[in-house]
Amino acid sequence: MKGIHKNKLGAVLEMKWRTLFSKNFIVMPLFSVGITFIMKLLYQTLAAKGGETMSNTLLAMALSLGATMNISMTGILCTGMSLAEEKEKHTLRALMTSSVNGLEFFLGSILPVVAMMVVVNILVTLVAGVRLTVSGWGLWLGVSLLCAIASGVLGMILGICAKDQMTASTVSTVPMLILVMIPNFRGFNPVLDKIGDFLFTGVLQNIIRDLVQRDSGVDLTGLVVILGEILLAVLVFLYVYRKNGYDAG
Amino acid sequence: MTSEYIRLEHISKSFGQTQVLKDLSASLHRGEILGFLGPSGAGKTTTIRILTGQLKATAGDAYVLDTHVKNIDETIYEQIGIVTDQSGVYERLTVYDNLRYFARIHGVALTYVDELLKRTELYEHKKKPAGKLSKGQMQRLVLARAVLHSPKVLFLDEPTSGLDPSTAQAIHQLLLELREAGMAIFLTTHNMEEATKLCDHVALLNNGQIVEYGTPEGLCLRYNQDKRYRVLLTDGTKLVLDKTRRMWSGFPGFSRRIRSTAFTPASPRWKVYF
Repeated sequence: MKGIHKNKLGAVLEMKWRTLFSKNFIVMPLFSVGITFIMKLLYQTLAAKGGETMSNTLLAMALSLGATMNISMTGILCTGMSLAEEKEKHTLRALMTSSVNGLEFFLGSILPVVAMMVVVNILVTLVAGVRLTVSGWGLWLGVSLLCAIASGVLGMILGICAKDQMTASTVSTVPMLILVMIPNFRGFNPVLDKIGDFLFTGVLQNIIRDLVQRDSGVDLTGLVVILGEILLAVLVFLYVYRKNGYDAG
Repeated sequence: MTSEYIRLEHISKSFGQTQVLKDLSASLHRGEILGFLGPSGAGKTTTIRILTGQLKATAGDAYVLDTHVKNIDETIYEQIGIVTDQSGVYERLTVYDNLRYFARIHGVALTYVDELLKRTELYEHKKKPAGKLSKGQMQRLVLARAVLHSPKVLFLDEPTSGLDPSTAQAIHQLLLELREAGMAIFLTTHNMEEATKLCDHVALLNNGQIVEYGTPEGLCLRYNQDKRYRVLLTDGTKLVLDKTRRMWSGFPGFSRRIRSTAFTPASPRWKVYF
């Protein structure tokens, strides 16, 4: 991978941003916002039946589901399927043989999706109605950003391994289920609970819980887990990229 | 930089046990069109993919703009254009946006995009989504994208395959203009007439091997079996000459025939085609 040319990166960014807003892709972030809204209504109904008011803990549960779905689905599917679409329609080859280098394509592909994930995490927080302090917001956005990066790189790896969009969506199902289901069902099983602590989506949920309960989510172990998984994802990405470029699938 | 823009030296390529290219050698200079002519599966596309750094050769060396194909990077890609059978066009985008995207990548002024759209007769379709173009229009769009940055070398993989004669003619005209402007064009085709019309040199490829290499006229002379030659004079007049009467270039019969049809030796430029 070589240096970055502003014009080329700008062009790829613009194209990927437009792709992200096409109907095939925008449904994923919207789905996360929708599920948060539905879960909030559901918890409100349950709380009302029990004669209770909606607590911040219930709001945090709605937020947890929406945020983990956003980070997993948007990150993995939007980057992976977008890369697979470029391969399927041969536009990737056209780009790579028109002097766009691997680093420019990587950044151009991942940055819009990461930005979208962070914006959607802000939206789901507002939709859920969780109240955070200024420092709480700072921590929440910082962790969301790191998780978004991890998820985006994972999506790029899966996109490299898939030859078309159908394959990309199939191979993405397993990591997406792991990243969404394990943290959300951790309460039912101690083993799942332990595994959840070592997934970036699990750490994200821990931070939401801590922010709501203690107004402090600074968890060094959690940050180490996220950073470690970003590093691991980047190393795996570089390994598969060096084998065959973006066209390994 | 020398005027030799492409050099193939004993290139071979195998996919597993199957050898698809065997010991190919050829060269292409500035302002020339080299045709790789052969049936489907002869290895034409594989040759282009090797020359553009998309595939590695099993043996031999190839150079594009004095750079070994193993070392092709973005600086070389900035100087070449590629038209393949797989268009690689963004179908959701309009014709104009497709070109604007690549103009931005290459740092080309947007005013040139309009100029190119007019030149390729796509200007009236500029707002149409690329996915809605006809095959001929799509091929012109791909060609426009490939020459947008005025590359030194243009690779064309069967650019007129499946197109109607008038669209093919328009593409031929554009290619001849590009050659006149000094572009070196590497063309693959299975159409002998196209190769004869456009190419300065032709390599006949069969089963991955170059079986003949030379000028189109030379190949026509060697392989024409129907005992007649069709000759196109530069003023557009076509003649059919009988081979059995031994009237041909450098042969007394040819000049006699020219004289007898009122074409003087002052119009000596002609082109032979099947």
